[in-house]
Amino acid sequence: MTRFGRTGQLVRLAFRRDRFRILMWIVILAALMASVAWKFEGIYGTPSEINAIKGTLASPGIVAMFGAFSFKGQVTTAEIFANEMLLFMALIQVVMNLALSVHATRAEEDLGITELVRAHAVGTLAPLSAAAIELLLVNLCLGVLYSVGLSAANMPGATTQGNWLIGLGLAATGLLFGMLGLLTAQVADHASSATGIAYTLFGLSYLARMITDVQHPRLTWWSPLGWVEKLAPYNSPRWLPIGLSLVLAIILLGLAFWANNHRDIGAGAITTRPGRAQASAYLRGPATLVWRRQRNVIIAWIIAVIIFGVAYGTVFNTIGDILKTNPTMQQVFGAAMVHEANHKILLSFTSLLAIVMAAVAIIPGMQLILKLHSDETRGWLEALYARPISRTHVLFSYVGTAFVTSTLAFIGGLGGIVVMGDASLTHVKDGISATEFWHGVAAQLPEIWVFLGLSVLLVGCWPRLKTISWLYLALGFITVYMGSLLKLPDCVKNVTPTGWMPRVPLHALDWTTFSWMVGLAVVLVVIGWLGYRRRDLQMS
Amino acid sequence: MTNPVLQINHLQKKFGHFQALKDITFDVRPGEVFGFIGPNGAGKSTTIRVLLGIIRATGGTASIFGQNVWTDSVAIHQRLAYVPGDVYLWPNLTGGEIIDLLLKMNGTAHTAKTDDLIKKFGLDPTKKARTYSKGNRQKVALIAAFSQDADFYIFDEPTSGLDPLNERIFQDAVMTLKQQGKAVLLSSHILSEVERMCDRIGIIREGQIIETGSLAEMRHLTRTMVTVTLGDDFDVTTLPGVHGVEAGHAPHEWQFSVEAQHLSTVMATLAQHHVAALQSTPPTLEDLFMHYYTGKE
Repeated sequence: MTRFGRTGQLVRLAFRRDRFRILMWIVILAALMASVAWKFEGIYGTPSEINAIKGTLASPGIVAMFGAFSFKGQVTTAEIFANEMLLFMALIQVVMNLALSVHATRAEEDLGITELVRAHAVGTLAPLSAAAIELLLVNLCLGVLYSVGLSAANMPGATTQGNWLIGLGLAATGLLFGMLGLLTAQVADHASSATGIAYTLFGLSYLARMITDVQHPRLTWWSPLGWVEKLAPYNSPRWLPIGLSLVLAIILLGLAFWANNHRDIGAGAITTRPGRAQASAYLRGPATLVWRRQRNVIIAWIIAVIIFGVAYGTVFNTIGDILKTNPTMQQVFGAAMVHEANHKILLSFTSLLAIVMAAVAIIPGMQLILKLHSDETRGWLEALYARPISRTHVLFSYVGTAFVTSTLAFIGGLGGIVVMGDASLTHVKDGISATEFWHGVAAQLPEIWVFLGLSVLLVGCWPRLKTISWLYLALGFITVYMGSLLKLPDCVKNVTPTGWMPRVPLHALDWTTFSWMVGLAVVLVVIGWLGYRRRDLQMS
Repeated sequence: MTNPVLQINHLQKKFGHFQALKDITFDVRPGEVFGFIGPNGAGKSTTIRVLLGIIRATGGTASIFGQNVWTDSVAIHQRLAYVPGDVYLWPNLTGGEIIDLLLKMNGTAHTAKTDDLIKKFGLDPTKKARTYSKGNRQKVALIAAFSQDADFYIFDEPTSGLDPLNERIFQDAVMTLKQQGKAVLLSSHILSEVERMCDRIGIIREGQIIETGSLAEMRHLTRTMVTVTLGDDFDVTTLPGVHGVEAGHAPHEWQFSVEAQHLSTVMATLAQHHVAALQSTPPTLEDLFMHYYTGKE
């Protein structure tokens, strides 16, 4: 029996175990890529449309979000497509890989399944190899589907080589982060810690690519996440980034094998330290229990969102100074007009980022609310309900923490953008005023609360359907992140709450919309609460 | 105080089309340890979850301290302690933190008694719950339950992961509760434990209580094993209420079981046939259990 014995059987088992989640990811991602490509000629088909978007894509605000690309000569529809979609699809691909890799390794180990498997005649490294092969096959399959979809869409300016570069490039980036997930799964001592470490590294490579893209695109080569941008599939195709991704993926996998070999099952390189023998005075009920268990995650999220805000804020000076791109403007229009125009640009940029920040700030809150149900199925709530503690008390301990977390994360993120942004400006008057900032906050909070309210409703009444929360949020995020670039019709943007409020502070805050959205959020929470008081709890 | 602490009347629970509980009726009185036995999947844990207000009954009534288990669960839990069969603990808290938290949520605090229990059960309270074995997780729940001053204790297979030493500590603690006049509902698979500790027993099968009563009462319903060596050729198969007659190793040695109501007649008849040796064994709880579940003695 070699150390890789029966890997094949475990690979089959892995696909059997994950068949629905893999199928869902592949279908959604492949369909997203193919349908956007299919529609793209209709959106950016003519030279005038292309020239208009070319200018937008070169602006630092968009570069910060979509990456830096250089155009030469006549720009084609396919080049615009690559610019808009590559980084965005890579981000989703990474999220998929981190979820699948930790799920296939550390989460299985936490459940004791790996122990059961290893007690049979399978090689010591077989479970890890099976996970690696599973990721390889999923990414490869998705990459091929992307390429085939792009070839079928046949955009003007698309080349066969470019289509395959995109497909395989995304697959290689996905695989690279999948291997990172396998490595952090060996280093951490439980699944959520492994996910946390992996996301921290992912976030750092995103920040690195964002800052280098805005300032020195050449340096983006230093961020693994920046490699997809360097594929330049339809203007100067490069295979080097794929090679780099694969080499780094193999190195990470090698490290994962090494770490796996040098640790005990159930343990990680980071050991579980002993803690307090007695509870501290403040740990005394469901709400403080949620805080005690989740405080690291909550604090990490808030800090991460603030850092992102600050990082976006650093580009204010580049964006909000049109004299840099057009020095003659001041002579033609006068200083007052120029400052007015600068202010407008910053308002527009802030309004767009506010929606992105809101989507990001919802994630930790939604996780907390859905945790109410996963804690229930794991039996962790049984001990609470055997005490004199009502359903209402437990529900609102989770929900309250979630609302506060998301709200603070959003205010922190937007605050980071505005404070850092204003500080970076030479003319502070061009920046975002305090009133504009608070209007921006007030415009997005109802949307955040409606999303969280929906999760409360699902957990309270139909917990089996809780995944819908994530799909709905993803839909909302895609429609705002990509909406204007893909020229999505308003009815599509209005499917989720992200599209209900006009963009503030660019436009005025609509207090009527504000009121009914808050009302809707309250109604969703109340219905969820009533449902939660009535239904049976599921205990394993 | 003679009112029962727990009263269950014709309790029913349906999950979709599956009738998990068909008819559960029993009560538990103060100062009594009530044994709740039945095979896996018979409905013991479902019954207990209804009692805790975690799931709602679809028929019948259940009350603890005279209050409805679903609507008044919070008030009831003020005076109730519970140890589940599978103890799940928050993985990133230590055992000590969890014990204190559970106590605080009942309005009590960590006392010298708690420290004493931690020492007795041999638990390391500084370890994260993630690293505990099944037995250690059970200890955490047991320590929290025993340091609480409740009036009604529910234990759902509490000793399944404990070693024999800790099992003994558990049994002693339960006997102390009984002397203090507390009511205890003990669901268990370890029949010797139930036999030793419980005053009354309820047997559940496929969602139905099929028998309740003391062990002595139950024994009357079943047969006593008799091994007898006689001095003559008497044919024991002619005796009334005798079953499963087998010849023993020695001549005139017989083994058979006797129905409870015929026991005295049988003994009187045997006495006329020069009994050389006689051994009668009352049915153990295990025999009773087998009798109810397999239909054989």
